Amino acid sequence: MMSEAEITIEITNESEPHHDNIVHNLERFDKGEPPRPQCTSTTDSVVVPGLQCIHDFITEQEERALIACLTGPHAPWAPAQCNFSKTGNVKRRVQHYGYVFDYETANVLRDREKEGEKALCPPMPCLPDNYKSCSDEKLSCFIQDAVKNASGWDVLAGIIERVRRYKFVAKDPMSQQHKGTEENIRSYSFINQMTVNEYKPGEGIGSHIDTHSAFGDGIMSISLGADCVMNFKSSRDDNDDDDDGNHGNTNMKKKLVYLPARSLLLMSGPARYTWSHQIVTRMTDCVNGKIIPRKTRISLTLRTAITSPRISTTTTSSGGDDESTADATQPLPLITSCEYPPKWRDCGVINTSCSSSLLQHDFATPDTEKNHVHAVYDAIATQWHHTRGKRGVLWPRATRFVKELPKGSIIADVGCGDGKYFPAVWEAGSYVIGTDISEPLLHTSIGSCVAADSNVAGPETRIVSTSKLGLNNRPAIAVADCMQIPLRTSSCDAALCIAVMHHLSTRARRIRCLKELGRIVKRGGLINIQAWALEQEQSSRRKFSGTDVFVPFHAQPKYLAKSSIGLSTIVEQKQDKKEIAKMYTDAYKGAQYNEEKDLVVFQRYCHMYKKGELEDLVAQIGGLEIVDSGFECGNHFVVLRVI
Amino acid sequence: MRLLTHNYLQSTVKGTEKGYPLKIEATKIEYEESPFDAEFLRSLIPKIDYSTLLFGIQQISEKLEDSNDIQEGISIPNLPESIENDDLQEDLLKKLHTVLFDIHVIEGDLVCPDTGRRFNIKKGIPNMILHADEI
Repeated sequence: MMSEAEITIEITNESEPHHDNIVHNLERFDKGEPPRPQCTSTTDSVVVPGLQCIHDFITEQEERALIACLTGPHAPWAPAQCNFSKTGNVKRRVQHYGYVFDYETANVLRDREKEGEKALCPPMPCLPDNYKSCSDEKLSCFIQDAVKNASGWDVLAGIIERVRRYKFVAKDPMSQQHKGTEENIRSYSFINQMTVNEYKPGEGIGSHIDTHSAFGDGIMSISLGADCVMNFKSSRDDNDDDDDGNHGNTNMKKKLVYLPARSLLLMSGPARYTWSHQIVTRMTDCVNGKIIPRKTRISLTLRTAITSPRISTTTTSSGGDDESTADATQPLPLITSCEYPPKWRDCGVINTSCSSSLLQHDFATPDTEKNHVHAVYDAIATQWHHTRGKRGVLWPRATRFVKELPKGSIIADVGCGDGKYFPAVWEAGSYVIGTDISEPLLHTSIGSCVAADSNVAGPETRIVSTSKLGLNNRPAIAVADCMQIPLRTSSCDAALCIAVMHHLSTRARRIRCLKELGRIVKRGGLINIQAWALEQEQSSRRKFSGTDVFVPFHAQPKYLAKSSIGLSTIVEQKQDKKEIAKMYTDAYKGAQYNEEKDLVVFQRYCHMYKKGELEDLVAQIGGLEIVDSGFECGNHFVVLRVI
Repeated sequence: MRLLTHNYLQSTVKGTEKGYPLKIEATKIEYEESPFDAEFLRSLIPKIDYSTLLFGIQQISEKLEDSNDIQEGISIPNLPESIENDDLQEDLLKKLHTVLFDIHVIEGDLVCPDTGRRFNIKKGIPNMILHADEI
C-alpha cells in the first residue's frame, strides 16, 4: 500500500498540448486524407483488471431527462478553475456535487469552512424520505415516474441509487469469466461525490489516475449524449497519446475502451489505482473498424470521497511502538438534498453591492432571469412586437376574460409586454395599466394599433375604434418588476398575468408574484393567469424533456439593429450584419450567432408547469380562491378571486 | 403618464408607510385632446381616489407655473373639492376628462411621499424598478 509521500500528482496539463494536437489535425485535413485514430479492435486482447463497461445502463428516456437537467437553466456549472500548470482555465465545463474536486490541488475540498467559497457546490440529489431503503421495484417505479414528470433531479437521484445498489461481479482476469461467488460481488454504496463533465467535440482529458487519497475504490462513469473511446495505460507514464492514439513507450500496455452513450464504466482495483485513463482530444474515434465522429458528451462520474489518510502509530502486543500504514479511511459524510433547483450559493444572486444577509426575502432576481429573460426581451423587443405582437395571436380565454368584466373596470396587465391585450380592454370599455420589466418591449406598445376607419391593414386584434386612439398613442404603462407591482393595494378591479409565471425560476418568486397580484386587486376581483404547460399537445413542435428549459429565440440582425435601447446608439450606425451579431453575442450571455442562417439565437429561460402546479402554488397563499382552471393551447390557466 | 394612471401608482420602497400619492416633479408636460366618452367616464370615476387626483393636479399646476418646458395652451380646469359619483353633470365630466386623460407628464420624476425616493419618468413612462436593497 503506497504511503502518501509516494503518490505523485497525476493530473497532466489539460489545455495547451491538446490545442497543438487540434492544430496538427487541421493541417493534415488540409493536406488530404485524415489520419485514422487507432482502432479499439487493436487492443481487444488486452485485459484491464477491474475495468467493466456495462452497456445500456440507462434508457434513452432517462438519458434525455438527465441531459435536460444537467445542461438546463439550473445546471450548477462550477466557476472557472485555474489549471494546475497556470496555462489558463480548464476549458471543459464541469459541475461538482457533494464535494468539489479542485483541479489545482488535484484533491477533494473536504472542509467548506476552511476552503471558503471555492468549496461550495450543490448537494448530491437524494430520494425523498419514503423512498430511502425502498425495494428495487419501488425504486424502478420512482425513476419511471420521475421520467414521466420530466423531473430531472429526481431521475438523477434515482440513477445514483441504482448505481449504489448495483452488484458488480468481479471477472477472473485471465479467463474474463464471471467468478460468480458471493465474495466477488461488490457494490459501491457510499458514493458521495459526483462530477459532471461536458466534452464538446475535440475536447478531452489528459492522462491521469484519480488521486488515491481523494477517492476510494470504485469510480463509475456514465456517458450521456454521445459515444467516445477512452484510452487506458498500465504504466505511470505521464505522456499522453497523440491524436492518432500512438504512444512512444512500447513496453507499457494500452487498452482502448469503447464507451457508448448510456453505458456505465466501472474502474476498480488496478483499473482505478494503477492504470491511467485519458480521452484523446480529436474529432473522431475508431471502434471495431468504424469511424465515429465526436459529438457533445456529458460524463457523470460517481465517486466516494474519503477522509485524508493519516500515518498512525500503534502499540504492538510486545509493548513497543510500531508504525502502521495509513489509518483506514472513511467515506466523507453524505451531503444530500431532494430540493430542486439545488441551493448552493446565497440566494442564487450574485450582487456585489449587497450581501445576502441584508436581504430579508427570498425572491431576489437570479442571474438566470437577468441573462435569459430580462436581457433577452430587451434585445429582441422589436422583432417580438413585429412578429408575435402584430400577428395578434391572443389566448382566447384571456380575451374572453377581459370582455366579460364590467365596463369601466381598472385592469392591471402585469407583464404586459408589447401590450397585446390593451386593445381588447379598451374596446370592452375598460382601462388597462400595463407593467413590464422590459422597457424596450413596453415602448413597442405605444401607437401599435390602427384606427378602425383607416386604410392601413392590421390584425383584427390590433384595431381600435377612433375614440380609443388617444389611449393607443399613449398607453398607461410603467416599467416594473412583478415582484414589486407599483400599484395601490386593492385598487384594481382585475388583473392579467399572461406568459409571465413561466419566466420565474424559483418557487419563492412564483408565490411572490401571485401574492402581489392578490394584493393589487380589490376584494371580489378576478385574476387571470396563464403559463406554459409541460404537457404539450402531440401536434406541437415543442417537446420538453425537463421542467426547466431554455427555449431559443431566433433574432434577425436587421431587427436587432433597430433595438437601440439597451445598447449604445453605435448599433444604429453599424450596417454589417456580422458586426451587429457580434455586438449582441458579446453583450448577451448565452447568445450565439448562427452564421449559416444569419440569426442570433437567444436562449430564454422557461419553467414548464405541470398539471395542478399553479393550483398548488395558489393554495400556499391565503386570500385567493380558484374560480376556474384548465388547459388551453399548450398553457395551463387559473382564474382566481380575491376573497 | 396621465393623472388617471398616477391615481393608481404607489411606491413600494422599503420604509414606506403608504407610498402614495406620489409627488410629481414634471419637467415636460403635453396636452393632447382625446375623444370625450361620457359613459366611459361615468363608469371609471367612482373607481378613482379623488383626493389623489386633486393632489396630482396641484402638483402639476405648480410645475406649469415654474417650468418653461411646458407645451403652450395647457390650462387646468378648476375642479370642486369633492364630487358626488351619481350626480356628474356633463360640464364637470368634461373637466374631469381633461385632467384624467389629456394631460401627460412626459419627463420628470415621481417622488415617494414617505422616503423621498425618486422614480424617473421618461417618454411618458415611469420607471418603478427598485434596487435589491430597497425591497
